[in-house]
Amino acid sequence: MNVDALIAYVMNTPLSWIIITLSAYKIGIIIYEKTGKNALLQPIVIAYVIMLPILLLAKIPYKQYFDSVFILHFFLGPATVALALPLYKNLKLIQSYFLPILITLVFGGIFTILSAVGILWLFDASKITMLSMTTKSVTAPITLITAHDIGANAALAIGFVVITGLLGALLGTFVFKLLKIKHDAAKGFALGLISHAVGTARAFEISENAAAFSALAMGLVGVFIAVVLPIVIGFL
Amino acid sequence: MLHGILTLLLFQFVGECISKLFMLKIPGAIIGMVLLLLFLMIRKGSFHALDNAVFWLLRYLPLFIIPAAAGIITQFETISNELFAILASLIVGTFLALAFSVKLMDVLISRKEGK
Repeated sequence: MNVDALIAYVMNTPLSWIIITLSAYKIGIIIYEKTGKNALLQPIVIAYVIMLPILLLAKIPYKQYFDSVFILHFFLGPATVALALPLYKNLKLIQSYFLPILITLVFGGIFTILSAVGILWLFDASKITMLSMTTKSVTAPITLITAHDIGANAALAIGFVVITGLLGALLGTFVFKLLKIKHDAAKGFALGLISHAVGTARAFEISENAAAFSALAMGLVGVFIAVVLPIVIGFL
Repeated sequence: MLHGILTLLLFQFVGECISKLFMLKIPGAIIGMVLLLLFLMIRKGSFHALDNAVFWLLRYLPLFIIPAAAGIITQFETISNELFAILASLIVGTFLALAFSVKLMDVLISRKEGK
């Protein structure tokens, strides 16, 4: 028996980290489903809570972990392209409320970025934090492929995206009551605009119609910010 | 399934090539997504092969984010240095943006329907 060879293999094969990552996510799905699909207990949040201590305890350099699980990262590209299909299916909704959607998309999208970055600026935050905050309302795959182009830190940007998703879902009901919002379409659209997929999961709890508008907003704001942001930041 | 995956990869590839060729600042996958959207709009009919691949990819989307998201372990210093600013920006910013967007859309819809 060669225990040293075994340990060296286990520590170095990509297989170990792929198995750990998939398991953490699987546990996330199980907990999410057992709790009646509570929008705040997203599988990725649970996976985060499981994965981070393991990575820290194993003292694995981040680059080694990333290279080991690169096969998962690879699918972000095709998954981003795949977002075209739900967008296409919800596109007919645009016809019913064309101007409200267009105006809310542009002003809401810009307001989201300016308010978040403005607060950071007030507190004298660093440039990398501000850049990473600009994509906080964009769905995660689009954030990741945009982060590189705008000079943001991808990991920070993703952290902000996940937290913004949870906050939007958490604050949604309260804000809608406070402002006496009447239309489900507006509730759904705002949830998707600010809180991407987590907001859409929450919108499903309001109504099918809200969820459809949420999915539409998520797709539109993703494209809008991914197209406009690199160009704007290029001029700064 | 393979047909669908291949379609998505081809659209991504063409998008990346266009982005490189014209030195666009827009990520290639986004161009691929917009091209696929235009393709679907022109084609109109259903595209079952694509349905399966898209369902599978979007279902596991959060899983594909984990490798990049785990990079947070390299960012603890930035986060602890700017914790207050980050929390304020996230909490207050999200609250304001949500309130602004939902009220704007609600008022616009009410106006449209009031006519």
